[in-house]
Amino acid sequence: MKRMASILDGNTFMLSDGCGDVDPSPDYPAGLFAWDTRLLSKWVLTIDGERLHALSIDDLQYFELRFFLVPGEPTHYVDAKTSVIRHRSLGGSFEERLTVLNHRDESVVLTLRMEVGCDFADVFDAREARPRPGRTVTTVEDGRLRLCYQRNRHVAETIVSSSEPADVDENGLTFRIELGAHGQWSTTLQAIGVIQGAGGRDVRESLRGYTQNRPEKRWELGEWVARAPRLTCDSEALEDSYQRSLIDLASLQYVGVTSQVKLTATGLPWYMTLFGRHSLITGLQTLPFLPEIARSALWVLSLLQGGRIDDFRDEEPGKIVHEIRYGELGGFEEGPHTTYYGAADTTPLFLILLDEYERWTGDADTVRLLEYEARSALAWLDTYGDLVGDGYLWYERRSSSGLDNQGWKDSPDAISYADGRLPGNPRATCELQGYAYDARMRAARLARTFWNDPAYADRLQQQAADLRARFNRDFWIDDGEFYALALDAEGGQVDALASNMGHLLWSGIVDESRAGAVAAHLLGDRLFSGWGVRTLSRDHSRYNPIGYHTGAIWPFDNSIIALGLRRYGFDEHAARLATTMIEVSGYFGGRLPEAFAGYDRARTRYPVQYPRACSPHCSSAGTPLMLLRSLLGLRPHHGHLTIDPAIPEELGRIELIDIPGRWGRTDAFGRGREHLRRR
Amino acid sequence: MADPTAEFFSSLEQRGPDLLPVKARGTIRFDLAGPDGGVKHWFVSVNRGNVLVSHEYRQADCVVSTDRELFDRLAVGEVQVVAAYNRNDVTIQGNLPLLLMFRRAFPAPPGTRDPRDRVRERLRRRDDLQGRVRPANRILPGDRECRQ
Amino acid sequence: MKALVSILDGNTFVVSDSRGDIDPSPTFPTGLFSFDTRFLSKWELTVNGERLNALSVDDLQYFESQFFLVPGEPTHYIDAKLSIIRHRTVGGSFVEQLSILNHEEKQVEVMVRLNVESDFADLFEIKDVQEKVGTTTALVEDGRLRLRYQRDTFRRESIITSSAPAEYDETGLTFALRIGPHQQWETTLRVETLVEGAGGRDIRLSIQRHRSRTREEMRQDLDDWLARAPRLNTDNEALTETYERSLIDLAALRYSPLATSDRLPAAGLPWFMTLFGRDSLITCLQSLPFTPELTRPTLRYLAMAQGVTLDDFRDREPGKIMHEIRYGESTAFEEQPHSPYFGSADSTPLFVILLDEYERWTGDVELVAELEHEARAALAWIDRYGDLLGNGYVWFERRNLRNGLENQCWKDSWDAISYADGRLPTYPRATCELQGYAYDAKIRGARLARLVWNDPNYADRLEREAAGLKERFNRDFWVADGEYYALALDTEGGQVDALSSNIGHLLWSGIVDDDKAAKVAEHLLGPRLFSGWGVRTLAQGAGRYNPIGYHVGTVWPFDNSLIAWGLRRYGFRQESGRIAEAMIDAGKYFGGRLPEAFAGYERALTKYPVQYPTACSPQAWSTGTPMLLIRTLLGLEPHGEHLVVDPAMPEGMGRMELLDIPGRWGLIDAFGRGRAEHMGSTRRGTD
Repeated sequence: MKRMASILDGNTFMLSDGCGDVDPSPDYPAGLFAWDTRLLSKWVLTIDGERLHALSIDDLQYFELRFFLVPGEPTHYVDAKTSVIRHRSLGGSFEERLTVLNHRDESVVLTLRMEVGCDFADVFDAREARPRPGRTVTTVEDGRLRLCYQRNRHVAETIVSSSEPADVDENGLTFRIELGAHGQWSTTLQAIGVIQGAGGRDVRESLRGYTQNRPEKRWELGEWVARAPRLTCDSEALEDSYQRSLIDLASLQYVGVTSQVKLTATGLPWYMTLFGRHSLITGLQTLPFLPEIARSALWVLSLLQGGRIDDFRDEEPGKIVHEIRYGELGGFEEGPHTTYYGAADTTPLFLILLDEYERWTGDADTVRLLEYEARSALAWLDTYGDLVGDGYLWYERRSSSGLDNQGWKDSPDAISYADGRLPGNPRATCELQGYAYDARMRAARLARTFWNDPAYADRLQQQAADLRARFNRDFWIDDGEFYALALDAEGGQVDALASNMGHLLWSGIVDESRAGAVAAHLLGDRLFSGWGVRTLSRDHSRYNPIGYHTGAIWPFDNSIIALGLRRYGFDEHAARLATTMIEVSGYFGGRLPEAFAGYDRARTRYPVQYPRACSPHCSSAGTPLMLLRSLLGLRPHHGHLTIDPAIPEELGRIELIDIPGRWGRTDAFGRGREHLRRR
Repeated sequence: MADPTAEFFSSLEQRGPDLLPVKARGTIRFDLAGPDGGVKHWFVSVNRGNVLVSHEYRQADCVVSTDRELFDRLAVGEVQVVAAYNRNDVTIQGNLPLLLMFRRAFPAPPGTRDPRDRVRERLRRRDDLQGRVRPANRILPGDRECRQ
Repeated sequence: MKALVSILDGNTFVVSDSRGDIDPSPTFPTGLFSFDTRFLSKWELTVNGERLNALSVDDLQYFESQFFLVPGEPTHYIDAKLSIIRHRTVGGSFVEQLSILNHEEKQVEVMVRLNVESDFADLFEIKDVQEKVGTTTALVEDGRLRLRYQRDTFRRESIITSSAPAEYDETGLTFALRIGPHQQWETTLRVETLVEGAGGRDIRLSIQRHRSRTREEMRQDLDDWLARAPRLNTDNEALTETYERSLIDLAALRYSPLATSDRLPAAGLPWFMTLFGRDSLITCLQSLPFTPELTRPTLRYLAMAQGVTLDDFRDREPGKIMHEIRYGESTAFEEQPHSPYFGSADSTPLFVILLDEYERWTGDVELVAELEHEARAALAWIDRYGDLLGNGYVWFERRNLRNGLENQCWKDSWDAISYADGRLPTYPRATCELQGYAYDAKIRGARLARLVWNDPNYADRLEREAAGLKERFNRDFWVADGEYYALALDTEGGQVDALSSNIGHLLWSGIVDDDKAAKVAEHLLGPRLFSGWGVRTLAQGAGRYNPIGYHVGTVWPFDNSLIAWGLRRYGFRQESGRIAEAMIDAGKYFGGRLPEAFAGYERALTKYPVQYPTACSPQAWSTGTPMLLIRTLLGLEPHGEHLVVDPAMPEGMGRMELLDIPGRWGLIDAFGRGRAEHMGSTRRGTD
């Protein structure tokens, strides 16, 4: 794979090659994107007709990047006489400062050319290379290049200008520059993307906080990092990945839908938009650190809660959204993604986060304000969620372009029997039942404490207890001693051994007597690769170490499993998982990717990359945070923070200072011990 | 249906309390342009789920503009408001969150069935065909509440 | 630049792209190389006709790496159903273990194809593309593919075999496979390289080292090497990383030239995988406290190859120490002078300097006695052939006008030596550091003459000459208005007045007058020379300054290590620490591996040090740099039978322990910790 360089700012990003150039790529999202629309698909710099080569790249901040370049293929014996610095940043518009340095002892005349083009592809087009129904017009006016795409009333536009005079034609900008001996020349190129609302106004203008310049952004990033607790620890890998995570989470914040809240985009480059599931999980992971992420997620997801039955969007009343998109395809209903609801786990996770959020922050107002939405979500669990009518949570897609699987493992082959057959629909995966159980338990607390409805609370608790009893009967596979991945439409067990079981520990639905067997499986050879818990057992028919949901290892999955193991007292197991994940992050420069390969550790020296995994990815960035919580054993308890560290000896000391919460700010200390509790 | 838009608004005061979140509070004005260019106004005031509808032309927290034909299709559920907004067939100015909450008032697309009925019927047919009997304790009465 | 993956063992190395493939490149040394000849120029694996894509590369050791691959362009939504692992090793021959894993639950048919080709290019032909004179033939034999190159009696051959049955043709190997569900298939591919001597025997067979070694043998050898070196414990993680990296890289660069089974340091991958007089001498000087085993064979080999007669094509003179030796076709047919070539004026004094330094650390007087004749010949060369103008300085001017080097000092690119305004001086030229080396060689030679050769008269004479040289030098080279030493003298005895890093070497040699040293130190750490990442080769503001110019603006780690050493010699403890710190910082950004050179841009302008295009990496004397810096920081100096430790470490550096330092004292430990030097007293007298 070619090395790519990216900068991003919320759901705006620029993805180029290692020299800063963007070559047209119909099937890969290279270029400048905002709001799921490509605003530059070609951005190629040449000097005297020659492409440039990178000496090095400075990644200054997530929103700015600098390339040091020389013309032509570098050779060992001929020194380059010209070098070019491309310094680019995002913040509202895309800016690139070009500086050309002449290293000769004499003056020189150079022709600098920036090739510019745009296909205005929707991010889904960029995945599948579809023809574009609209029309692109390129015009040159007042020294600016204007690329304009129109389809009915949908208008997207990119305007490229330069601070220094340029010869502008329809394919780019040309500069003829004369440089004195050892002289230098600079210009600042700007590309402004405009997505027009009706009446020709940029729809984003109404969003306060949308446009920001670089100093403001730097300040904001500083503030963000300063708000989070400070970590000092002996493990450099942990410290690196913590810092990296805070910055990556900052980079994924964007203003969308409404100016009141910042949303968390999911992953670069494929998922630069809001996903219900991942913003909820990231909210859970980051609560002890940056509780505003959880608050924003709850707020925006309540706004977007399903209101009607809409088969095309797999929408039902009370359901929490799966994905939103702003691009052309959704607008023209060629895809359901404008607001798509094909997820069965978002609704219980919404309730879980609401309760967990209050436990940490003490923000009772939000719980009261969202009572209606929370009750609608609970009603959804009982009604549309229970497709079969047997008290479990099921899913089955109705949308022609929807998702076959509506749990977090949503690729078509993710849910299978051990022998590889795919079950019929509807399907009830096990972790959904855990979430539904947990959601009801937590909602009962909210009903009793805040909604003043003890009768409802009793009913929810009763339902939860029933569900737990039934679940432990119907999902437990006796001879294998683990929980089935799912039930099929006939109520039969889908008998694959999968990581989903770890989530059950987190939810608390597992019978005490069975937890030991579950923990042993999670850290056994079939699931645990040495680098983490695989999505699917390595002896299953669909196992593929580089299968997205059928063998790859997902950091966020592991973070939830670690927390679940601690819940049931498997401190040593949890610590082992946390330690390996931190080790893995060291091999990815502190940045855990969306997923990586499930090969046995003995086979690979480093964790192997999953092809084209998203990175940064929000809930992978949240992973080190949740692991810290698990290592330190942080739990809010009657208005206080309780600390119960379970840190392996090799991690040494961990201090987390100024943990925000209902207690104000408090510190947590822990140090590694040789013997941890193994239940 | 003679005037779907009128029916939509006239039933709103009655449907509102069930459909709208408590926190939905504010005013929305719908400016609907006719083929002749004339604009008809619907003024909706929402407060803790209670809805009042009038034809007043007043300043509102949120102003939604589109043509009458499109709104007729929104009113029967044929068109989705966010998608229409994304392709500029609908303009929204002001408080977008309020409109997102109000979105719940739009009905399902015509002919939509409760997904549970579809699934349960299918399973029942298959059970009958295969002579299967589902254990009674597996079928719960279920909450038949359903909003169309 | 595309990411390349290299593995090496001495002067045999493989450079491929990140998926393990070698695409033919006439202008860049990708391929399998041994003894300056490319034995594979194409090595391209396809599965069902598709090229592969890398998921990751494990660089296991310098001699082995492992690639994880999938067919086709990976996409986000479709999982690959096959994965391919290539595990390769060089150790005499090139071995690649190829595994294909089927992740499907059904049997699959897979067509695996390996395209193989060799152009048998000489490394010099790659620098400077030329038509091949000889002919290449491909022969398919029973169970092997032979690629042969012949030009008259000069023969090279690659033999490719596979452990699993294959269909061989003239352009490669094909495997038609059936792999069961979740099964894997493996084969071991082996490429033998033959350098045929008279009678068809591989001339390397005479060298015991050149037999193929297994991966296990090589791993054991590396473990032993690491165990012999001193252990470093420090608070500074970057320093630990770069030290460990350096030890491994230095191990990787050891090779045995023909005619000896000892192992010497080759200069750098990929262009300089051979012995260079200057580079090996300096690498040994840097690494002497750590890996003294390299020095003895280096001195002996260079002594053996010392010039005896005059030869204009090879710029050779009696007593001169060689510059570079090559084994390729162009050298064999005398199109290139490297058999060996002698175009360097500094390797001869450096030879004497290393000999003395070696004795001071090891106490090995026997070697000093054994090499007496060669050392005296080298000292004689300084006064005779070195002093082209007869005025007591060392000069150079090439006699091989076709492909000899114009500059015969370490900055040997054509434009390296210039006046401040950019003009180039005439020939012969006398660069300043050469005079420093000559001075130091005489002083050290005198010590050896007195101690081992039992010739006090000769010693007195050398010391007298040295004193005279120092006096003259401080008069003739000192640029009064700039207050630094001129880069060189031109033929007329005029000063080549560019400000350059060369003045740092003068401190190391001790030729600088005490009253001038402070100015020199000030220049070295001043804004014109010091970029923040290190001392530039040429000062900003000079006519030929170019931050990405090979010898006219880039920063060379080895150069900086000698400068730091020199600063300590004159008591500039804080300045020396600053350079060490900057280098260790820079090393961090190159994964602990300092490259040959990096760009001279201001540190404020760049967050990271900027890579110099196609710099060699690893490079022997960059590898030696962290070692010399550690020596400098700890202030290690042998005095008689003892090792003196006098740490001068910057405050931020924390603690450092170097355990089991080998030498005439057996093994000894050194400790130091960072402390603030008192302001205003940075110089604490000559060390």
